[in-house]
Amino acid sequence: MNALEVKNLSKSFGRIKAVDNASFGVPEGSIFGLIGRNGAGKTTTIRMMMNIYTPDSGEVHLRGTKVDKSFKDKVGYLPEERGLYKKMKVLDTLLFFAEIKGKTGKEIEKKAKYYLQRFDLKDRAASKIEDLSKGNQQKIQFISTVLHEPEFIILDEPFSGLDPINTNLLREIIIEMKDKGKVIIFSTHLMDFAEKMCDHIAMIENGKIILNGELSEIKKRFSQRNISLTHEGNLSFLKGHPIIDKIDDFGNTTGIRVKQPDQTQELLKLLIENNIVVKKFDANDISLHEIFVQVAGKGPDSEFLRGGANA
Amino acid sequence: MLNSKIIAVIKRELRDKLLSKTFIFMTVLIPVFMVGILALQTLFMSIDGDENTKLEIVSELDQARLKVDEDLAYRDFVKNQNYKISYKVMSAENFEDYLNEKKSSLLSGELTGIIFIPETALKDKSVQYYSKNPSNNSVFSKIRPSINKALVDIYFAEKSLSDTEIQFARDRVDIQEFRVSKDEGVKEEGVGNRILSFLFTFLLYLSLIILGTMVMRSVVEEKNNRIVEILLSSVDAKDLMTGKILGNAIIGLAQMTIWLSPVMLLISTSFFVLPPEFVVNLNPGQLLYFLLNYFIGLITFLGLFASVGAIFDNDQDAQSGIWPVMMLIMIPFFISFSMANNPDNSLATIASMFPFASIIVMPARLTLIDVPLWQLALSFIINLAVIFAIFPIAGKIYRIGILMTGKKPKWSEVIKWIRE
Repeated sequence: MNALEVKNLSKSFGRIKAVDNASFGVPEGSIFGLIGRNGAGKTTTIRMMMNIYTPDSGEVHLRGTKVDKSFKDKVGYLPEERGLYKKMKVLDTLLFFAEIKGKTGKEIEKKAKYYLQRFDLKDRAASKIEDLSKGNQQKIQFISTVLHEPEFIILDEPFSGLDPINTNLLREIIIEMKDKGKVIIFSTHLMDFAEKMCDHIAMIENGKIILNGELSEIKKRFSQRNISLTHEGNLSFLKGHPIIDKIDDFGNTTGIRVKQPDQTQELLKLLIENNIVVKKFDANDISLHEIFVQVAGKGPDSEFLRGGANA
Repeated sequence: MLNSKIIAVIKRELRDKLLSKTFIFMTVLIPVFMVGILALQTLFMSIDGDENTKLEIVSELDQARLKVDEDLAYRDFVKNQNYKISYKVMSAENFEDYLNEKKSSLLSGELTGIIFIPETALKDKSVQYYSKNPSNNSVFSKIRPSINKALVDIYFAEKSLSDTEIQFARDRVDIQEFRVSKDEGVKEEGVGNRILSFLFTFLLYLSLIILGTMVMRSVVEEKNNRIVEILLSSVDAKDLMTGKILGNAIIGLAQMTIWLSPVMLLISTSFFVLPPEFVVNLNPGQLLYFLLNYFIGLITFLGLFASVGAIFDNDQDAQSGIWPVMMLIMIPFFISFSMANNPDNSLATIASMFPFASIIVMPARLTLIDVPLWQLALSFIINLAVIFAIFPIAGKIYRIGILMTGKKPKWSEVIKWIRE
């Protein structure tokens, strides 16, 4: 069952159509990835899901009913560009963000202190935000995203600008939240990362959803006739070969698509005959990169495809 | 209307500002600043810069010379040698030559000036003053009474009048001001209320601008460092704006109450005895009206400042974009001062019931004349109507502007947002 259902959302800014009739479902208990390059419409979609923007048309349904104001209390949101009140004290900041989510009282304060201790910030509770390091400010941001026990956690490009320690920390939080049964929604342009963490995805390009569903299903669907190859040697002899449909060089690996599913063995034979050193030959495997290239029809040279390196 | 989220935002604003050093500083500093300006002005006015004034008083009449000398000799500025005055008697024909003779010393400043009292002065009280700097008021104000006295004495001496009669002729007319009002009967009016009207006008002007700018800055800050995105994932834009404005309006009201507490003490107790000319005619009802009017004014103007803040994402752009709102505060401010001469002028009457202007003009007008109750009520209703009229628009600008980043929007685009 889908916890959230996005139905035909559209939003324009002036003449630019930021989101164009987007529909997808976010299943219960899933880690959902909204994937697309910068400017594809991810943030606008997310903002409409949280009722920050009113859509020009379309609706978002929460477990069967249209979302209203109360949905905001159920969401923990970590925006891409994060800000805190610089002059506010750490604990006050956390309690304020919980309070505007409708959570007050001793319980929340206790919990805030627990998180501060867990993130080694116990002694900074009375410090001003501006006196914290950038990494520690990010930690405060994570805590304020989950402190009020949201059912949905929406993370917009969560790993941009994080140091390795905080990257791991956030990953830990995400897994922990998933184990608690929360729905986690990512928006990211980092394909490798999405591939590792998400179980469901929606791909967005120029405001349109070009692909969505369960990741393993999608991979299965796209992986037929696909071989992921790691090798040494020159593959130029394959160009124009009758069994080859397409070759994409991704650097470390090469994606090869044959014309018929039963031609994979033939390809392997062909490689060996041509003195190619095959280090890894993965039939019926495809990366999210490759899927995107196929669906969006864009070359792998875009910034978006290379962005996965640090995820 | 108030929900827990608005209250949370209000609480944050209060905690952020009410306990801040800036607030405490401003609350103390503005009265000090205003008193300081008054004191400086008085100080500068008292500096005449007329030490070492050398005057010659030339008279056609020996009697006039004697009388003037007699009177001036007792004045402080002669006794302490600030003014050195010499006297001559000569006819008008001779004076012309004499003036030519003295021209060089007048130009070199060796001699400050020559006053010539012709015989005709006994008829028309007209004397002549020759100087490099003839419009020097401090010289005149010091010498004039003595000359006047001498001329009056000589004139009436021939008419065989008593000293008291002469004294009467010498006196200036002293106008005592009485205010006629409906319910309190006739009361003597001093400058107390005039000072109060200046005070009201100044406080309204200063605090609207200072608080407004503070709110605008905090909106720009929230927009600029993107806190607003987290806020909006929790709170509606409308609630956020409402909380922010109400929070700051409460802060402003607290500040004004502190500033006005001396006035309240003054009118509610007889503990302080003011000299009669400074007595303030104000009843607690009027003071309450002032505070209520101020609160409404705050909500109106803070709304405008907040929405302008939301249009821009840096302070400089916001500062230059705020001028239409500033005009709405400054023009009434000047109108309010125009009432010093005649509080009942028609411009002030209209302005005191005009949208936006009423907030600044009415309180000042209230202190100066008896404003009919219907006018007070009307201005109050108009002010409320303004709030209901502008808030949907200001709210829309705020809601759309707060998430717009990048290029500075043109006014035409802002108008498009309103129509959206």
